[in-house]
Amino acid sequence: MTDVPIIKVGSTLIATIHENLTDAEAFAFQEVLNARLERFDATAVLIDVTLVETIDSFLGRLLKEIALGARLLGANTVIAGIQPAVAMTLVELGLDLDGVRTVLSTERGLALLARDAAGQPSRGH
Amino acid sequence: MSQSATIIEQRQTIDALETPVIQIWDGVLALPLIGSVDTRRAQLMNEQLLHRIVETGSEIVLVDISGVPVVDTAVSRHLLETVAAARLLGADVIIVGLSATTAMTLVQLGESLSGVTTRTTMAKGLQLALKQLGYVVERTADAERSA
Repeated sequence: MTDVPIIKVGSTLIATIHENLTDAEAFAFQEVLNARLERFDATAVLIDVTLVETIDSFLGRLLKEIALGARLLGANTVIAGIQPAVAMTLVELGLDLDGVRTVLSTERGLALLARDAAGQPSRGH
Repeated sequence: MSQSATIIEQRQTIDALETPVIQIWDGVLALPLIGSVDTRRAQLMNEQLLHRIVETGSEIVLVDISGVPVVDTAVSRHLLETVAAARLLGADVIIVGLSATTAMTLVQLGESLSGVTTRTTMAKGLQLALKQLGYVVERTADAERSA
């Protein structure tokens, strides 16, 4: 099991990453998330990183892989709540999460996913 | 006051002056850059901007570079960093105030700012920002008659 709770709300999976995620936990999270996507009829994934205050290149790269992987499994994926300091670190590391949509807050993320589900063109990345 | 203290104080004043982040509309921030952009300033600028994006929940940032005398490779790298960082917070950056000279210089340097939306003036940038946010700005019939 993973220490990252994954909640299913309708057809959306919501995962909140906590502050001190270890590398092993991050890997476990990736596996569990992918397994859930395979098993359940989920069309969207929201990864909430509001609590993450610092990030390293490992977690940054894994986050990108998790998001891109979820997309391959047919789910629209959004990363929500990246903190300013984390954004600066990611840019300095050259990890700009290309191809991953990012939003300011969980609320906006859910709104974006709802618009996707409604089939409206969304203004996002 | 010693000379070094004076310099530190001046540095702080300049810091405050050089990175004004202004909310010009609900959801739109403007960052007018005046003078040269070095690494130190770019970092300060990014920090301030990111915090303001979170504070105001803004979705679009207009960075005006019309006041930057020379836009070279280094400056363009800094701008791209700003764009990438803001994007991580879910905000789009529109770079405005590009002059013909700047555009030519950038192209010649092989820095075409690909993937970044650019406009020549702040006014055009604001128009685009409002459009993206779904705002419609109209003049009333009264104003049109008196104009």
